[in-house]
Amino acid sequence: MSEMTNRKIGIALAAGSLLATAFMIAGLCFVAIDMAAPAAAEQKPEETGNAADAGSLVPYREAEEIRLLALGDSLTKGTGDATGQGYVRRVADGLSKRYNKPVKLLGNLAINGMTAQELAERLERDEGYQYAVKGANLIVFSIGGNDLFLSAYASLNGRELNEAAIDELAGDLDEALERFKRVVERLNALNPNASVVYMGLYNPFFELEELRGASAKLQDWNRAAYSELFRHPQMLMVPTFDLFEFRVLDYLSSDHFHPNEAGYERIAERMLDSL
Amino acid sequence: MNEPVLAVRQLCKHIKGRSIVDHVSFEIGEGEIVGFLGPNGAGKTTTIRMLVDLIKPTSGKVVICGHHVAKEPEKALRYVGCIVENPEMYSFMSGWQNLEHFAQMLDHADEARIREVTEIVQLEDRIHDKVKTYSLGMRQRLGIAQALLGRPKLLILDEPTNGLDPKGIKELRSFIRQLASDGLSLLISSHLLSEVQMLCDRVIIIDQGKVIASGKIDELIKQAAGHVHWVLGSRDAGVKLLSSDNRIKVLAGTESADDACGPIVTAMREELIPETVRRLVEHGIPVHAVHRAETTLEEMFLAMTERDTIA
Amino acid sequence: MLKLFALTQNEIVKLWLKKRFYVIILILLIIIPIFTYAEHKLAQTNAEHFPDWRNRILQQIADIENTLASDRIPEEWKRGRRIAVQQLQYYLDHDINPSEPSGVQFTREFLGNSVTLFIPMLVLAIGSDIVSGERTGGTIKMLLTRPVKRWKVLLSKLLALALYVSLTIAATVILCYLISGFVFGYGGWSAPVLAGFKIEGSSVDSASVYAVPQWRFLLMQAGLSWYSAMTVAALGLMTSVLLRSTAASMVSMMAAVIAGSILSSMSSAWTTAKYLFSVNLNLSGYLVGTPPPIEGMTLPFSACVLAVWGAAAIGVAFRVFTKGDILN
Repeated sequence: MSEMTNRKIGIALAAGSLLATAFMIAGLCFVAIDMAAPAAAEQKPEETGNAADAGSLVPYREAEEIRLLALGDSLTKGTGDATGQGYVRRVADGLSKRYNKPVKLLGNLAINGMTAQELAERLERDEGYQYAVKGANLIVFSIGGNDLFLSAYASLNGRELNEAAIDELAGDLDEALERFKRVVERLNALNPNASVVYMGLYNPFFELEELRGASAKLQDWNRAAYSELFRHPQMLMVPTFDLFEFRVLDYLSSDHFHPNEAGYERIAERMLDSL
Repeated sequence: MNEPVLAVRQLCKHIKGRSIVDHVSFEIGEGEIVGFLGPNGAGKTTTIRMLVDLIKPTSGKVVICGHHVAKEPEKALRYVGCIVENPEMYSFMSGWQNLEHFAQMLDHADEARIREVTEIVQLEDRIHDKVKTYSLGMRQRLGIAQALLGRPKLLILDEPTNGLDPKGIKELRSFIRQLASDGLSLLISSHLLSEVQMLCDRVIIIDQGKVIASGKIDELIKQAAGHVHWVLGSRDAGVKLLSSDNRIKVLAGTESADDACGPIVTAMREELIPETVRRLVEHGIPVHAVHRAETTLEEMFLAMTERDTIA
Repeated sequence: MLKLFALTQNEIVKLWLKKRFYVIILILLIIIPIFTYAEHKLAQTNAEHFPDWRNRILQQIADIENTLASDRIPEEWKRGRRIAVQQLQYYLDHDINPSEPSGVQFTREFLGNSVTLFIPMLVLAIGSDIVSGERTGGTIKMLLTRPVKRWKVLLSKLLALALYVSLTIAATVILCYLISGFVFGYGGWSAPVLAGFKIEGSSVDSASVYAVPQWRFLLMQAGLSWYSAMTVAALGLMTSVLLRSTAASMVSMMAAVIAGSILSSMSSAWTTAKYLFSVNLNLSGYLVGTPPPIEGMTLPFSACVLAVWGAAAIGVAFRVFTKGDILN
């Protein structure tokens, strides 16, 4: 009779499943061992320091592909742009058309609300950031808006913005510039070969008469920022200040703070003009 | 005297405050075939389940071959093969695999024994087919094969002829006789009373959880009041007179005169007949015929269990 | 002892002949290729946009941080994401790719994701009629009128179920590896995986983090999945004893498991929920440092909760099975 009898099936299954059970229990034993002696960390992972240096020694114009990295705050992130492209993707697309070579966006590491302080810290400590910066041949960034506007913007939600707030804003200027300087120095130290484009600040409150004074303060920032950037020949500042004065309503999104699609489009055009 | 194969002593079961089985006691000796009778709901199935440890008795005990079922089931059940209600087997396995399965649960049932019981129930041809392809009769036979695997001393069959065709019933009957002649004791519950009458040496009749009669069939019939059929000239007056005597019980024939055609049936002792005839004649009721009917187990059973509904 | 072995063999054979395990293999054969394809697509997109995994991790961190900056996200969710950021950062700092695509890596992810719902479902598919099926089929009368103590019958069923749980997890691992390896390659056994993240509030204590080769991690994960699945099996056995109907026992167990997974994903503020068994099923999550569903839960805690539930279920099952009358 060719039929498998119960005994044969049973023994085969019992053997197979006992073997499987042994494996499961071995796994549980490993867990128990590791929990009992957490110092089983004989395999403590080493800090590698990210020796891998993908740094590009060739400027982006001559390189085979443009390796673009975006850093900074919500303006680089593209907040306010319903298409989600921001100026970064538009610049990437524009560059690839102009130079007829691939543009690799290594990443848009911009984070809403990032301040110069935070960016400086990351560039100093975060090996991932350093790695990314080293790997890029073109870096675009925007920073400083949150340092200057954070207190002002917070109060806009609560009460009317007034002259006093603008003075407060100016008070932070020197400290913020100090941090900006750290960012610039750090970028230069990490990758002196990459071209760096800084997006200048604009005054989103231009149409509010009592806040028009802020424009002058922002211009102070832009001037000071430029005086840090121009020391490094690979760094460039693209002004956006003028775009938003007469046509502030056309270019700002509904939050009256971030640009809209048209605004980002214009910023990207500006950058492309300079690249 | 030999130790009984099965001894049931003062067995009681209460479920949710209701008494299902009430002080049932009986014994089965070696090689005996005992019928277990009772109308539906009499407590037959509950009693059988207590015999094989499916239900725990509220009080009383079941002893099989000297072993207390509730206390040492693994010893007592060694001597029992049973089919409780339908012979339900695993339908996704073959008959052979089913037998192997149950043989594994016993101590001394090897492959040779499986082959042997297969031959006893004549299932050799189909034993390797899946049980779901079996007819009811084949399932019944497979159930019996399963029950026989452990060479039991007592075989308990619950409604064994249920769903069998006449040929199957006949085969089963001769098969059971043969088993008994080999020294096996059998307890057969059935509602087919004629079956029990033809098969069993002895019957136990229960109703409403109590044993109402037990003993050899001939003796029971002798003991029981015979049925006397009366055909009288004046039916209504006859019924009135007959029922006025408290030694006579009128079982049938009390319908109104219009649709009465059959005889008046009474249960009474034979020696009362001459006296009753004399009384009928004295009251001017013509006696056309008096007929003493042979009592069958069926009639006795009905008479016993339907006592309340008639009185 | 010999009897118990024979009984267990009986139960194994019955489960096998009921073709339950075939169904499980079939389900795995359908589901794994689907997930492999999805994972393959994802890996392709990643490779396209981020040839360097480090940049992908950086972007991932930046994306999470952007959601953290939003005020709309509830604080409990942020906690988990902060932890995720710290872990990704740790991987980045140590130059370890947390998801180097390989057959082993896919298997590890699949097992990790299936432990709370998929594997319990498979276990219940095998086990939820292990007793109730005998009742509805009437075969329980045959089974319990044999000269065998009732507890032995139930123990043999429990043992058979345990062995099938092992087989199920082994089959999941083996099939996952074979199928996904076809796409991702059969390597990755020795790739390092970081284990031992300790989570305190919303920060990660990386002092006790250590690297294990992926094969060892996979084995640990399989062991922990087996442990959770065994608890489910024990509870399934209990419902199978308590409820006559197989459907009822299957549905009630699935409801409990699903309720647990919903509760865990809600990061419930109802802290007593941590004593429910189904909230504690994801044991291997503790290895990789997934934040626990409710604060204060640890691996030993969850293991204890599951053990108590499992033991209680087995206790109830044995008590009812050995004492109960078989009335139908």
